[in-house]
Amino acid sequence: MNAHVVVSDLAKRHGAVEAVRGVSFAITRGETFGLLGPNGAGKTTTLECLTGLREPDQGRIEIAGVDVRATPEAAKEKLGAAFAGAALPDQITPREALQLFGAFYREREEPAALLARFALTEKADARFTTLSTGQKQRLALALAFVNRPEFVVLDEPASGLDPQARHELHAHIAAMKRDGRTVLLATHDLHEAEKLCDRVAVIARGKIVAEGPPRELAAGAASFEDAFLRLVTGAGEGTGA
Amino acid sequence: MSGLHEHFVLQLRLHLRNRMAMVYGCVFPLIYLAVFWVLYRHEKVPLVRHAGEWLTVGVLGGASLGLPTTLVGERERGVWRRFRLTPVALWRVVASTIAARYVIIMGAGALQLGVALAAGMPSPAHPLALWAALSVVTLAFIGLGLVIAALADTVPAVQGIGQCVFLPMLVVGGVAVPVAALPEWARQVSAFLPGRYAVDALQACVTGAGLGAARFELVALVVIGLAAGAAGAKLFRWDASQRFLTLRGKVWLVPALAAWLAVGLWAGLRGPAVPPPETAVALAPPPEPPWMKLTDADIAGLDFRVPSDGGVVAPIAAADDEPDENTTLLLDDVAAALPTWSPGLVADDAQAVRNLLCLCAVPDVVQLSGERYLPLLVLDYLSHRYPKDRLVKLLTWIALHPDDGTVLLDLNELGIPGVVGDPDQVRERAYLYALKFVMRLTGRKPPGR
Repeated sequence: MNAHVVVSDLAKRHGAVEAVRGVSFAITRGETFGLLGPNGAGKTTTLECLTGLREPDQGRIEIAGVDVRATPEAAKEKLGAAFAGAALPDQITPREALQLFGAFYREREEPAALLARFALTEKADARFTTLSTGQKQRLALALAFVNRPEFVVLDEPASGLDPQARHELHAHIAAMKRDGRTVLLATHDLHEAEKLCDRVAVIARGKIVAEGPPRELAAGAASFEDAFLRLVTGAGEGTGA
Repeated sequence: MSGLHEHFVLQLRLHLRNRMAMVYGCVFPLIYLAVFWVLYRHEKVPLVRHAGEWLTVGVLGGASLGLPTTLVGERERGVWRRFRLTPVALWRVVASTIAARYVIIMGAGALQLGVALAAGMPSPAHPLALWAALSVVTLAFIGLGLVIAALADTVPAVQGIGQCVFLPMLVVGGVAVPVAALPEWARQVSAFLPGRYAVDALQACVTGAGLGAARFELVALVVIGLAAGAAGAKLFRWDASQRFLTLRGKVWLVPALAAWLAVGLWAGLRGPAVPPPETAVALAPPPEPPWMKLTDADIAGLDFRVPSDGGVVAPIAAADDEPDENTTLLLDDVAAALPTWSPGLVADDAQAVRNLLCLCAVPDVVQLSGERYLPLLVLDYLSHRYPKDRLVKLLTWIALHPDDGTVLLDLNELGIPGVVGDPDQVRERAYLYALKFVMRLTGRKPPGR
């Protein structure tokens, strides 16, 4: 397997809580990989370690052969990330945000191209506070692409979106796959994962409890949702919780 | 440079775009200035002796409240989390934020100074030194702002912690209330607060002997600023979920507080609370102005060949000459405005009197209806403001040096219409009125009459 992203034996503790316990997975170049789990399962902590936001307590993370823990700056050049909420100053405009964050990278995409690609050209000079939730989410996606990343991390990207905006978002994620980008999608929306992901890993109580294509995981269950519920409940029983 | 230039410029742009930031950054410093002007308006030059105070209040507000409010607000919204996703080291983004805040605070200080100068405050004695001192004060208080940003979890908490620093410094720290006016216990307390050193360093550059007279104050500010800056950098939190109490680095608060303590103890070892440099300078006898050295012989030696009071040039109304209704209204307006008219209140008495003589000279040049009544009003005002012997010397000095100083060409702010294009015409008429006033004050008659 041509692994583009490798996470091996990752562990992270928040005080007394073991948020992530020995998580390992690998993502093939060009693959859309889902990280599924209920709230508090350890998805966001895993992504934060993967993107260099937090220093893991143990484990190895590589993006395109670059060790994230040893050379985080080099790894960050290769990845784009969109976490829930665009997280920008109220008065900034989409054009300014794209110019600013693009300037932090060696390789960068032109703001005008990103604005056009994410249907924000009309709102290019509008204040951030005046954007709709869908527009803010599209801006968050556009920001994840300012450095032409090989690997894109999306954390609950559809959170709070109406059906129309969700449909547009899914089209953008599908386009990323067509462009050959590797995508890691963390979500608790099972339909979204089933529709968009080539493979998924189910995480519960800080551990990966299953991994494979959604269709395979759903085999033997009434639906993918049933399979998921059985996996996360089983993990809880297994840990004695 | 890795986007930091873009970040710096964008922050300034966003500051200008943010209405509340403008209120805090520009309007509040001007309100402080206005408050000081109102409080000390009875002084001959109301703002200059308190420049250190109103500049410090402005810097304190911008650094200890404005900066942490911005940092914590952005942290709450996840902006710093997004910066951390980029390959640029976070400390460089913090440095860019500090640089932008420095420009914002210095800009507010410049605005305060500009308005104060426009209101008649004389220029600072050491402008470059003032810029340097204001920079030290700003950076020291920015260090304080970083610590507050690290301590506060939310924007309302910034306001709470910030006010705990801001208010004591205003009240007992020598910032809003001069140290000399504080009770002894408060003077002792003020030695441990950086506000007092900021006021003294700035005031030394405005009316004192410059940076050399405020070495201790500047060192104190640098020590406090460096300790706070180091603590603020070590305690910096990029994510709202990082709680201050869970940080191992909280021990960094110790050097920040130790710096205040050390400076206070050091000040105590230097002796009892010393008067600020500006006061020290003020207590020393000021050098005697040159016009004070004029003698009776100098006054007698003036050329008193002046035009008649009833003529076209430099006229003065007779005592029983009643002005018409419009002129009466104008004279009432001018009389009401004179006590606060800034050109008449400048620190240089010779220039102040010259400016007041322009109230006679300009209407004379533009042939204003009622021009002959203004000299009586001006002479009356001058006679109440200066002892007779000093006024005679001042007028004699102006008559002997008609080309000195500056003259006013436009008095529309006092309701006197018309503008003079040629300043020499105003100087000539001011010279004639100076002579005529000397004659009236000393009972001299024109030669040959």
